[in-house]
Amino acid sequence: MPKSGTFIRSLAAVALVAVVAAAVVGAAGASTAKRNSVTITGAGSTFVAPLIAQWVPALAKAYGYELHYSPIGSGGGIASITARTVDFGASDAPLSPDQFAACKGCIQIPWALSATSVFYNLDGVKNLLHMDGPTLAKIFLGQITSWNDPAIAKLNPGVSLPNLRITVVHRSDGSGTTYNFTDYLSSVSPAWKKRVGVGTSVNWPVGSAGRGSSGVAALVSETPGAIGYADVAYALQNHLKYFAIKNRSGKFTVPALRNILAAATLDTKPAADGSLSIVNPPKAKKYAQAYPISTYTYVIVPLQTPKARELKIFISWAVTHGQSYGPKLIFQPLPLAVVRYDEKAIAKIHS
Amino acid sequence: MSSADLTTDVARRPFTGRRARLGDLVLEGVAGAAALAACALVGLIAWKIVDGARLSLSTFGPGFVTRIAWNPVAGREVYGAASFLFGTAITSLAALLLAAPLAMGIALFLTELAPRAIRGPVTALVETLAAIPSVVIGLWGILVLGPQLRLHIEPWLHSTLGFIPLFGTPSPAGASIFTAVVVLTIMILPIVASISRELFLGVPQELKEGALALGTTRWEMVRGVVLPYARGGIAAALILGLGRAIGEAIAVTQVIGGGVFIHWNLFDGGDTLASKIAAEYQGATSKLQISSLISLALILLVFSLVVNLLAQWIVRRAARSHGGGTVRP
Repeated sequence: MPKSGTFIRSLAAVALVAVVAAAVVGAAGASTAKRNSVTITGAGSTFVAPLIAQWVPALAKAYGYELHYSPIGSGGGIASITARTVDFGASDAPLSPDQFAACKGCIQIPWALSATSVFYNLDGVKNLLHMDGPTLAKIFLGQITSWNDPAIAKLNPGVSLPNLRITVVHRSDGSGTTYNFTDYLSSVSPAWKKRVGVGTSVNWPVGSAGRGSSGVAALVSETPGAIGYADVAYALQNHLKYFAIKNRSGKFTVPALRNILAAATLDTKPAADGSLSIVNPPKAKKYAQAYPISTYTYVIVPLQTPKARELKIFISWAVTHGQSYGPKLIFQPLPLAVVRYDEKAIAKIHS
Repeated sequence: MSSADLTTDVARRPFTGRRARLGDLVLEGVAGAAALAACALVGLIAWKIVDGARLSLSTFGPGFVTRIAWNPVAGREVYGAASFLFGTAITSLAALLLAAPLAMGIALFLTELAPRAIRGPVTALVETLAAIPSVVIGLWGILVLGPQLRLHIEPWLHSTLGFIPLFGTPSPAGASIFTAVVVLTIMILPIVASISRELFLGVPQELKEGALALGTTRWEMVRGVVLPYARGGIAAALILGLGRAIGEAIAVTQVIGGGVFIHWNLFDGGDTLASKIAAEYQGATSKLQISSLISLALILLVFSLVVNLLAQWIVRRAARSHGGGTVRP
């Protein structure tokens, strides 16, 4: 008995020490937070997360703001800002009218510009194979099933394509990248628009699902003949082979900054709800180099918020100075007209 | 002096008595609160799930359970659980079928056959298998197991047993129901094996020695004494494993490949109730989609409850026909 008594007593002592230590640490944490006083929290898109990670130290240096961002996915970001558990949400897919209504007085502001790459796993076949929208749609509809299909061969004269089954890989989770990709497929293929449509997650006719960009990339790199999609920075960092995609001007373009910028000139005046779709620009000289699967991504904030002052400063900074951190992550700095629009939108935020 | 007198005597002692009563009160309070909190938590979870599922169930009615559909595209939304129910049933049952003989083998080896020197290390290793986080097993499933199965095992099974619809055309990607089954087998194997080992250790030595003294072989002793003695417990261990397989989400999401259809080819993709919830909940965008995912959770809850009740019934029945060696799930 005395032995177990000592044991319990020492256990209690340890617990007490832990509680005191936690209290001290907590108090210390509180006091540092107090010194910087402003914390901005956000959640959403994984696509834009690497860019925001670059902004965190810069923003701390410039304004002393502490920025906390959780990359939980675009859908999660919309849900979080709707519930007001964060100061801002980030989404690659624009809010639907229903989501706008649910969010009660939110605005969405385009704040970054990038593209989705489509990559493949074909041993001994060069990088930057040619691809066009209708063929891509047929592959993802399950109508083209082999790499040596005449439709693919016709786009790639002189390339010997293997007689290998095409394995489609897509996201299993809801994703802004999926939105961008299906937005493009719907715009190039009436059949896709009719059968599948646009969304952050859709009813895929064929293929295997991977969880997150990393899951898609892992499945594609482990499966000869596989084809998948993810944000362009992801494909580059992981040395995946990706397509040069034919735009409506007839050029095969890669998801490089200047080609994304060319696509962004398609529309620089956002719709009334702040959204801007720039997939598949029409045939024209100024879009000759446009990469057709480019996308804006959005920050979503309530018009009326207690942190109005800080959010205004932060988002204004993000759409101007913040853009300079983009290019090395393949985020094209916003066109001036979009920055102007954004500044007007930001001015409407109030406390 | 009887024991009752002893207690009153102790209780009457002025200081220790008060302390003892205080201690009892604290114990009662803390333990009672813990038990109540658990009950309240179960109640709250159930209520929240039913509440969240309401929108979907009122939109789709009971047809939700039998419909094969999952389309979250705005304006075309339609949801149904049938293919996920099927996926859950086929993956967990197949994993159990694979795991059961393996686990029995491991447990028998460790209790009856292995030299004493290696029992400890092997037991520890088997139990380490249970400690590997499921997300790590899932990752290994994508990068190592999937490609191996796709390149070697699946084609071999297809060419030798292809006449059975289960072993259809091998999957082009390493992600398939079969990969999920193997991953689940690995995950439930250590639980079933270590519980069975404990059960076999609990078989009275006299019974085993008696059987051997009667001139039985080791196999006859195992079949005639060890297995029947532990039968109820083994059933319970298997059901525990089944429960784990039914509920596992992350690892399955990583390797199962997805797809909303019912088919008998193990080498094709699919989804389970848990994997669908894990994959889509965070990114769900419409109220109806969220509600439908919660409905899947409700079905999963009911499914698990039924399996659990079934397990208790089996254990009780086995316990009635045979004496000891049972554990409750």
